Amino acid sequence: MENNREYIISAFTENHPGILFRVASVFLRRKINIESFKVSDSPVRGISLFTIVVEIDESMARVLVQQINRIVGVLKSNYYTAEGRLSQEVALFKVRKAILRGDTFEQISRKHPLRLLQMNGGASRTGNNDGYLVLRKSGYKEEIDALRDELKERGLLMELSRSGSIILHRETVEETMDGIL
Amino acid sequence: MGEKKISGAEALLFSLNAEGVDTLFGYPGGTIIPLYDALYVHADKMRHILTRHEQGAIHAAQGFARASGRTGVCIATSGPGATNLLTGIADAMIDSTPVVCITAQVPVNALGTDFFQEADIISMTSPVTKWNYQVTTAAEIAPAIARAFFLAGTGRPGPVVIDVTKNALVEMLDGFEYEKCKELRCYNDHPVVDTDALERAVELLNGAERPLIIFGQGIKLSGAEKQLRELSERGNIPMASTVLGLSAVPSDHPNFVGMVGMHGNVAPNRMTQQADVILAVGMRFSDRVTGKIGEYARQARLIHVDIDASELGRIITPEIAILGDAAEALAAMKRTIEARDRAAWFATAAEQHAIEYREVISKDLKPTKERVTMGEVIDGVARATGGDAIVVTDVGQHQMEAARYSRFARTRSLITSGGLGTMGYGLPAAIGAKIALPNRQVVLFCGDGGLQMTIQELGTILEWKVGVKIVLLNNSFLGMVRQWQQLFFERRYSSTPMTNPDFQKIADAYEMPHRRVERREDLAPAIEEMLSTPGAYFLEVKVDEEDCVFPMIPGGAALNDIMFNESL
Repeated sequence: MENNREYIISAFTENHPGILFRVASVFLRRKINIESFKVSDSPVRGISLFTIVVEIDESMARVLVQQINRIVGVLKSNYYTAEGRLSQEVALFKVRKAILRGDTFEQISRKHPLRLLQMNGGASRTGNNDGYLVLRKSGYKEEIDALRDELKERGLLMELSRSGSIILHRETVEETMDGIL
Repeated sequence: MGEKKISGAEALLFSLNAEGVDTLFGYPGGTIIPLYDALYVHADKMRHILTRHEQGAIHAAQGFARASGRTGVCIATSGPGATNLLTGIADAMIDSTPVVCITAQVPVNALGTDFFQEADIISMTSPVTKWNYQVTTAAEIAPAIARAFFLAGTGRPGPVVIDVTKNALVEMLDGFEYEKCKELRCYNDHPVVDTDALERAVELLNGAERPLIIFGQGIKLSGAEKQLRELSERGNIPMASTVLGLSAVPSDHPNFVGMVGMHGNVAPNRMTQQADVILAVGMRFSDRVTGKIGEYARQARLIHVDIDASELGRIITPEIAILGDAAEALAAMKRTIEARDRAAWFATAAEQHAIEYREVISKDLKPTKERVTMGEVIDGVARATGGDAIVVTDVGQHQMEAARYSRFARTRSLITSGGLGTMGYGLPAAIGAKIALPNRQVVLFCGDGGLQMTIQELGTILEWKVGVKIVLLNNSFLGMVRQWQQLFFERRYSSTPMTNPDFQKIADAYEMPHRRVERREDLAPAIEEMLSTPGAYFLEVKVDEEDCVFPMIPGGAALNDIMFNESL
């Protein structure tokens, strides 16, 4: 337990029904709580990429990856530590418009490079009359956390939705799955 | 096959035929009627053994597979039919048994509506199957069956569930074509053995003073019996077996030193602790084998051969991990293995065996007390059959005694629920084994507890005249649990005494020749009568209520901590 740290587990799989269930079961069986779990297309048609973040130690990461690799339908699973990986998140922040003055917004956006999403089919910031704005921030998990904390502190945060870690692998899919595809 | 229209159910039967299947174990129900209708029409193509419960069907399929090496097949209807298979599926998963289970499912447009007899069997079986798949159109049936057999039988074998919605069974197809599945990009059935690792492994063995081979069921699954024997003989290396590995090597082979584990032989357990190099093949370091893991084989440099990559380093990290087929790996190692004089090492085995004989075996096989022991019965059967029978067991004390005192001349001759420890496994598994290999003598050892979990399968024996010899070792207790209560819970026999029926009357009701033995002098003649009587036979032996299985390494203890009797 004391050697627990954040590990990113990736898996390239066939895009078939049931594989998500089996991958998730590997964690459930050992009562490992999942911090984030993302499945999406890979660059190769018909192959999905799982990106799962868990707090575990390395021996557990190894066992989990072995068990995931054992699933029929999984082409290749690996584990990484977050360091030295291009691991990013995307988050959408719903922010109270009423109390967000222009200078405050400038301050925040200088400190946390972000993007203001245009709402209502291209309406401007001031043209949004729903009482909120939507900000988009991408970056490391810690950067998202920092913006969240800042907005919360200032009483601006209404809602937050984040993608979980998305990773750009150093190797190409083809390299990762050399001899498999 | 031509242009004639066939139903999905017929396509399913023809697909099974194409995989060489001629026997199914199963139980009908509402949803699966179309398949049973096809079985009726095509009775010449497929034999269906009606068991008395779906659990009986899957255990029979497991016994069939374990005895013959062929994939066993069972079928069940949707809902309760399918859920009744679960225990057997989990058993087959943990014991690497190739079975294909076909379950019917409600029509595709009714999925998820809590339709009558709907159960989400894909979700339920996912953690305990090697693969599962729901077929919702007739056209998918043949390719799904092809994949099922490929996956169940190759690599590390295991159970596969194919769930077929009712509409797929009744839909009509234009003709039938079948193509066997030979590979899948998302599954490696035959990893290439790393030759460098093999060389390093042989080097380690050649330099070893006290090497030990510990083999598991992987030897049988791979068909590596000959390669194992040759490596051991050429290298002059002692061999020990796990429970599931037993019979892969003849019990009387001079290099065979016995069974490892909780109730294993003293010699191989002690030798595990003394060995300087251990070659573990086709075994998975079960807790029942290792005892306390931190104290296990501390002096040994470890080589682990397994075809399942997830087993390498799962429990113990080996110095040399060899991913691949046991037969290939052992055959390659044999080429460069060198014989060394290991007289002192083999003498250790003999010394330890002498201790076990004095402390345990002599008391089990030549008891001075009045009651017959389980060991005497098993030894008696082993002598009378010359070790040629297929021994099937249920789970508990009799199972461990059967593993300890049976003798095996041929491979695949012990069929027992190892990993899951499934009570009720024995009787249906014995039926499956006898149906697979009708010319072999099949002897089931079971207890009074386990027998009653699937006792209804006596009806299957009656209907199909299955010539299984049933040996009931009756102590009127759930004996193994009682043993733990005796040893570790100060004899508080909570819910372990059994009030039993008159088993002789039950055997009689099923028209089975039967006999009860209570006195030692009646045992040998009864065994003789059982074996010489054609067909099934029911032999009940009353054994002591409070006998224990020794030696024993208590759960969680190190292999060194062997108990020889109650007091130690």
